[in-house]
Amino acid sequence: MAELCLHSPICLHGIGKEKGSIRMSIKNLASLSRDEVKNLFSSIDTILTDCDGVLWLHMKILPGAPDVLNKFREMGKRVFYITNNNVITREEFCVKCDKLGFTSTKDDVLTTSYLTACYLHDIGFKKKVYVVGTSGISRELSRLGIRSFGVGPDPLISDVATLVMKDFKLDPDVGAVIVGFDEYISYPKILKAASYLNHPDCLFIATNTDERGPSFINDCVIPGTGSMVAAIETCAGRKPFLIGKPSTYIIDAIRKRYNVDPERTLMIGDRCNTDILLGTRCGFKTLLVLSGVNTLDDVMNWKQSDNEEDRGLVPDYYIGKLGDLLPLLT
Amino acid sequence: MGKRVFYVTNNSSKTRDEIVSKCSRLGYPATRDNILSTAYLTACYLQDIVFKKKVYVVGSKGITQELDAAGIKHLDVGPDPMCSDVASLLRNEVQLDKDVGAVVVGFDEHFSFPKMVKAATYLKQPNCIFIGTNTDEILPTEFPLTVPGTGTFVRAMETCTNRKAFKIGKPSPYVCEAIIKRHKVDPKKTLMIGDRCNTDILFGTRCGFKTLLVLTGVTTLGEVHQLEKSSNKEDQELVPDYYIDRLGDMLPLIS
Repeated sequence: MAELCLHSPICLHGIGKEKGSIRMSIKNLASLSRDEVKNLFSSIDTILTDCDGVLWLHMKILPGAPDVLNKFREMGKRVFYITNNNVITREEFCVKCDKLGFTSTKDDVLTTSYLTACYLHDIGFKKKVYVVGTSGISRELSRLGIRSFGVGPDPLISDVATLVMKDFKLDPDVGAVIVGFDEYISYPKILKAASYLNHPDCLFIATNTDERGPSFINDCVIPGTGSMVAAIETCAGRKPFLIGKPSTYIIDAIRKRYNVDPERTLMIGDRCNTDILLGTRCGFKTLLVLSGVNTLDDVMNWKQSDNEEDRGLVPDYYIGKLGDLLPLLT
Repeated sequence: MGKRVFYVTNNSSKTRDEIVSKCSRLGYPATRDNILSTAYLTACYLQDIVFKKKVYVVGSKGITQELDAAGIKHLDVGPDPMCSDVASLLRNEVQLDKDVGAVVVGFDEHFSFPKMVKAATYLKQPNCIFIGTNTDEILPTEFPLTVPGTGTFVRAMETCTNRKAFKIGKPSPYVCEAIIKRHKVDPKKTLMIGDRCNTDILFGTRCGFKTLLVLTGVTTLGEVHQLEKSSNKEDQELVPDYYIDRLGDMLPLIS
């Protein structure tokens, strides 16, 4: 079944390729002189930063991070918080940032719940959305005038045969299925989503594909949005349009709304296969912090890899943690 | 005609006895010994590897009853819904059993986030065995709806654990071994009849059987012709030797 892709990324992988040779020399920011750091930042207007693993880790602030972001703003840079989180609205995210000591307004925040609503708005979507996800998504949709349903518990009451033969009737006004993190994931929801997706004109959108949640509580593994998406992809026999990192939709959404030049943009992240890859694809400069998911060993392995795709995971710069930048900027 | 008949099904929700009852009700004579269902074969596999611990089952009583019959300990199945919120679930409600040494994922109409958390957390231990009864993506239905199959749950769990499940049912090698070894079957003199190319026919091809596709189920003739034309070597394994509209059409040919 052909993938419905209404979006053609402005950022081409080719842009990253031209910079390939420069990208191969990864620089430790902390070992640069203050002049070199000054030059780097004078060529940057916009900074996109991932959150978990860069600014905080498991709800504990990473030391120095708030000061560095404040310094960026002092230097006249535009700072955006980028997160694959789709269970809260932008305002709720600002409250969370505030509690952790980071200043933000909702215009600085790009959650995948908000970006999903932006995407549907940008393509002039007028139908209804079936959401396998939380109210983080349905509320952002509603703000942009998009009707949706499906959020909340939907357990199997009788049995599968009754559900199929009697209890469930397709709503003909549904034109899209969005899948995000859903703690109420259930068989009826998977069945309904896949049934709507039977129709090739019904859009299939995934907020992100992170396999596990970022935190650990009590040593438990937290299944991520990616596992809910995998469930629905499997029985629907289709792949979704991806909103969050490393999909380049984010940069399209930003450029439609703000004046941003990819060549004067820095992406800061802790995960190479989402944050850095997004940066490479969009032609940004990229900075990997080692306070989160990936290590320097990971990066060195990819640098030496014969696989061209692996080299898109290699950042321009790295640093131990964001806070280590502060002495270099003052 | 003196042929031995086996019923081979990826259904993991029923015990062999329940399948025998269903077959008999529908006019197909069967005994336990000629049923090869994935719930039963999962228990066989755990016996083969001399498994002595407990099993966490994401599935139905079909599986737990076959485990009971094989003397294998397991936790309970059934609904396990979200009662509070994610943080409370993780902090207070997930009580893991230290004796669990395997997770079996089969068809589970009560699939839920709490079950996913428990299964994934057990599977964090590399020596915890990960078994998927089968990978059928959907169940055939005459309604204009998609009915998710076990493959849905297995893929969800493979994704969040970053591990691959050991697959029991068609087209995996285990069910080939089980048939050929346990029932002393000669592959060259065996015919596999099925309605789904990516399980039944692929299974037959891999076992070295002759294969017959019936068009009363999942795969259509159009799909078979596409597979035939494919340059992909793997697709060729899904092409049957023979096809027929429905099994009943054979009767005049063999009497």
